[in-house]
Amino acid sequence: MKKKGVLFPYIWKYKIPYVIGLLTLLMVDYVNLFIPQITGEITDGLSSFTLDLNGVLQLILALLGVALLITIGRVFWRVFIFGTSRKIENELRNDMFSKLEELSQTYFNTHKTGDLMTHFTNDLEALRNSIGPAVISSFDAIVMTALVLYQMMVYVDFKLTLLTLIPMSLIAIGGYYFGEEFERRFAKKQDAFAKLSDHVQESITGERVIKAFVQEEKQDKAFQKVNDYNKKMNMRVVKLMATFTPLMDFIIGLSYVITIIYGGYLALTAQITLGRFVAFNQYLGMLVWPMIALGDSITSFSQGRAAIGRINQVFDEIPDIVDDEHPLDIKELYGDISIRHLSFSYGDEFQDALSDLSLEIKRGETLAILGRTGDGKTTLVNLLLRLYDISEGEILFDGHDIKKIPLHVLRSSIAYVPQDSYLFSDTLERNISFGKRNATHEEVVEVCKMACVHDNIIDFPEGYQTVVGERGVTLSGGQKQRCAIARALLKDSPILILDDSLSAVDTDTEDQILENLKKKRKDKTTIMIAHRISTVKNADHILILEEGKKAEYGTFDELMALGGIFKEMYDKQQLEKQLGAE
Amino acid sequence: MAEMVEEKVESEYSGSITKRLMAYMKPYTKQMVLSIILVLLITVFELLRPILIGDAIDTYIEGYNQPYAIVEKSDLSFQGEYLSKDLEGADCFAQLLMYEDEYYYFTDLNAQESEELHEISLGSVVPESVTKDGMVIAGISGEKLDADELKVLRNNDFHGIIRIGILYTIILVLNLICTFVQTWVLQLTGQNIIYEIRKEIFHHVHSLPLRFFDTHPVGRIVTRATNDVESLHEMYATILIRLFRNSIKIIGLAVVMLSMNLTLALYSFILVPVIAALTVVFKRLSRKIHREIRTKISMLNTFLSENISGMRLIQIFANEKMKYDEFKDKNSELYRANIKQMSVFAIFRPLIYFLSQLALGIVLYMGGMNVLDSTLTIGILYVFINYISNFFEPIQDLAEQFSTLQNAFASAEKIFTILDEKNTILEKENPVILDEIKGKIEFKHAWFAYEKDDYVLRDVSFIIHPGEKVAFVGATGAGKSSILNLIGRYYDIQKGQILIDDVDIKDLSIAQIREAIGQMQQDVFIFTGDISSNIRLLNDDISDETIVKSAQTVNAAHFIEHLPEGYHEPVSERGSTLSSGQRQLLSFARTLAFDPKILVMDEATANIDTETEQLIQQALERLMEGRTTIMVAHRLSTIQHADNIIVMHKGKIREMGTHQQLLQNDGIYKKLYDLQLYSV
Repeated sequence: MKKKGVLFPYIWKYKIPYVIGLLTLLMVDYVNLFIPQITGEITDGLSSFTLDLNGVLQLILALLGVALLITIGRVFWRVFIFGTSRKIENELRNDMFSKLEELSQTYFNTHKTGDLMTHFTNDLEALRNSIGPAVISSFDAIVMTALVLYQMMVYVDFKLTLLTLIPMSLIAIGGYYFGEEFERRFAKKQDAFAKLSDHVQESITGERVIKAFVQEEKQDKAFQKVNDYNKKMNMRVVKLMATFTPLMDFIIGLSYVITIIYGGYLALTAQITLGRFVAFNQYLGMLVWPMIALGDSITSFSQGRAAIGRINQVFDEIPDIVDDEHPLDIKELYGDISIRHLSFSYGDEFQDALSDLSLEIKRGETLAILGRTGDGKTTLVNLLLRLYDISEGEILFDGHDIKKIPLHVLRSSIAYVPQDSYLFSDTLERNISFGKRNATHEEVVEVCKMACVHDNIIDFPEGYQTVVGERGVTLSGGQKQRCAIARALLKDSPILILDDSLSAVDTDTEDQILENLKKKRKDKTTIMIAHRISTVKNADHILILEEGKKAEYGTFDELMALGGIFKEMYDKQQLEKQLGAE
Repeated sequence: MAEMVEEKVESEYSGSITKRLMAYMKPYTKQMVLSIILVLLITVFELLRPILIGDAIDTYIEGYNQPYAIVEKSDLSFQGEYLSKDLEGADCFAQLLMYEDEYYYFTDLNAQESEELHEISLGSVVPESVTKDGMVIAGISGEKLDADELKVLRNNDFHGIIRIGILYTIILVLNLICTFVQTWVLQLTGQNIIYEIRKEIFHHVHSLPLRFFDTHPVGRIVTRATNDVESLHEMYATILIRLFRNSIKIIGLAVVMLSMNLTLALYSFILVPVIAALTVVFKRLSRKIHREIRTKISMLNTFLSENISGMRLIQIFANEKMKYDEFKDKNSELYRANIKQMSVFAIFRPLIYFLSQLALGIVLYMGGMNVLDSTLTIGILYVFINYISNFFEPIQDLAEQFSTLQNAFASAEKIFTILDEKNTILEKENPVILDEIKGKIEFKHAWFAYEKDDYVLRDVSFIIHPGEKVAFVGATGAGKSSILNLIGRYYDIQKGQILIDDVDIKDLSIAQIREAIGQMQQDVFIFTGDISSNIRLLNDDISDETIVKSAQTVNAAHFIEHLPEGYHEPVSERGSTLSSGQRQLLSFARTLAFDPKILVMDEATANIDTETEQLIQQALERLMEGRTTIMVAHRLSTIQHADNIIVMHKGKIREMGTHQQLLQNDGIYKKLYDLQLYSV
């Protein structure tokens, strides 16, 4: 395990239980050797009539004593080592989540949720395997082999031991190569299965298209290919297993043949006693397991190493949006915003999402932003929230550079309603108090009334305790939007940003919400992105963005008088209002 | 709730499941029989192995106590005398005795002396005197032998041991071959069976009407065809035969043990019920905990998936600490469940170990007693010692296999439930095949409900002539989309008649109708593949030229050609980078490539920018040229240009006519229009 950078401190923290666990294991392995020895003594004593029943009983009691010791020891090392590996897994998982929370949007844009989740489950599981069970089995295998071999050589016969070892060693070597080949074939088999699942999933999701274009038979044929491939890949694994497992059995059997012939010869010629011959057979049985375990644990270790590599990547990620080294000592923003010559691009290969944008918003004013999809509205909001750092120009809050403001202060001072009205699968009450956990129920109800969603909520059987999402109620788009608005209002921050948050709300309700906002947000700054003219008509400033540039800017009347894009939009929406369908 | 419904359906099957599962094995009877025979052989080999070693001990290693006859001539010459194991007619004997791991040789014995020494050799050897080179016992003196002398003297025994060694090797080879063939045959059979089952499910599911997909989530159907079938494979390929093998092994072991020594065997079995009971308890417990762990993991996963997606919001609301605490709680729940599992295993495994050692102790004690009073040989004791440690394994395995079998049965029930799902939209046995579909559509007093009696269409009648463009308007739930679904016969109506080219839709071939209809949906589905495979679907007879031409006609060529790999740009539903407007255009190209007579579409309402909107508009006009078109319309331009506008309200047709006629009519259409109820 080369890449133990992340892991080592955790293991070091638990060195004592690890050492205790391994010592117990060592003890168990050592004591385990007495079992065949005692059995051997009994058979010997019986065959040479040097033992009476009482003697046999004493030896059996000794045997049970040893067995009891082993039993207790086995309980102990499991608790110590498996338990510790679980603890490390648990702590790593917590720390990894905490690490993710530090990372910026750029990271999440380039890393799929599914992949990240794999780190938390499969990778950690593989890692735990390599610091728990694999440690046990490799340690056990090595110690046990050494002890058993020693015992075989000293207690029985040196040459016999060496001879029987020849086939046995083949298992360990063969097992290693087999393990690698098995891994490869198994991965392909898994892949084939995934392909099969994907195919079924896709064809069922696209059922309507398949039916509409009468593709059923052709789908059958296409599926047959995937199904065939899956079978073939499965059989490749089977072929290996069907060869290896019996072969291993055969090789172990060869060791027994050597024991029968050479060991038998030794016993015949009184070089070893019958009891030792019997014990040797038992020892041989004790060697089989460590040989297999050794191969297995090598596989576990290599999987563990790969997993640590992937987990390391998460921990090694340096958060790119962090507090300035010397942040300003301010507790809250006042609400003035100025943007100066702001340009921004999401990366070298992308066009500028915003270019040379300048504007001023004073506390208490409302700015409305209009524009088509991809014209930079959401980008502007992202930058104000400092989800990305700007490359050119300045964003100032109350005259302070955005980078100098502590991140916590900046974000606590801005209430935000996202475009997708993302809600968590939790109760509505907890969703709405997401930004202010100590809010009273009355406060929650108040903001819900302002967002015109209170009546909807109390209509649910469970009211504010209704669970949202997969396990609960599915809210309509409009309801979700209004909940997200309530959530933001509860924060009562100096700055409020609504990112196209009224699109699914009908015009009457919209008017009412806007009216409420006006009251509640008096003397506070509000920025709203919208599509509908009706949403923005009362704003202090209206900004029209086109391809990241400030195309038009002014009040409603000014823009109408200008007769440009805004006027055109207005006319078109008026017409559509009159006509149109549904 | 859906799960409950599923449960209910399941119980109706229980009787026939085994039968149906067996039916899949029927074509492979030969393979199954072969497997069973091989498994029996393998079990016999397995049982033989310790017996052979026991035999080597009893007959050869311990064989020294058989007296030798001194004869005139034999293969074995020792100290100038010829020895033979054939005692027939001899009057002079020799005998070996073992004392404190050394062998002593007594020769030139008469019959009576020989018998006396033989007795002694079988019991306890108490010499009168022992010297460096020999001993005196019962008045007879014998000399101590060294290894070389023993080698000569016991040449016969050694040959016997070699014979056993060879026999053992032969058994190993046979075992190797049998195991290989058995595993291979059975696994192949299992794979073939599940291949067939998967094929059957896939084919069957696709033949089911849309109604089925309305009520069954995709994820569940996929699980049936993948994971559930996989657990059947395990049953066919391994579990059934292992169950058989372990039962045989237990019975075999028991029979051999009982026949070797009845009482010792019975003593060996004393702990069996205890171990069996413990195993059952353990299995139950561990299954319960396992399920708990799975739940905790999936809870953790849900949490992760939701919060990684919502990380932006967590950060914006500066809520990291709180979410971390929530995660920590979920994580420690999982930790506790894992520790619970570990503890159960940490106690069970060692406990079983101890019990097996206890059983060994019992065998050693009772066996030792029998050896001491000479009712048992050491070799048989060896066999017992060996068997007793093998005896508990299959018992534990059995418990494991029974629970796997239970899972397989549960999966089988779910699979059969899907396979028994009836197709309600059936073609007539000899459907009418029209030479050409012209595109006339007529509804005659059609009544239709998705759910019993909850009619979404009530007494709907209209005629659309070939080449006409008809728009349906009305509020959500008026029944517009249902009409579109009925034209492709995705559902059947309850009352009335639908005619295409004057033939009842139920008399026509479904494939012919659907091929004639170009059905376009609001949400366009993208298959994994590239752009051209999404236009062509699986119809290889659509040429590349047709694809390009179709794309050009519907204004899709422009964006396609701007993709890095053009028509071969890989696309998929999930990883798709196409905008909704581009998806629309792509679906137009798909429809045009199939050149349908009738166009049926649900116009998209999604937010599409003005430029693309114009492209779509233009494409639509080109598509509609010369085709009967039926649409649920949202765009003003489409409505205005329609030959006929049908206004639906609560499942009924309320008004019909052109835009101008309807406005003049001053009815619902006018009212809707004035009230601005159509708002985009």
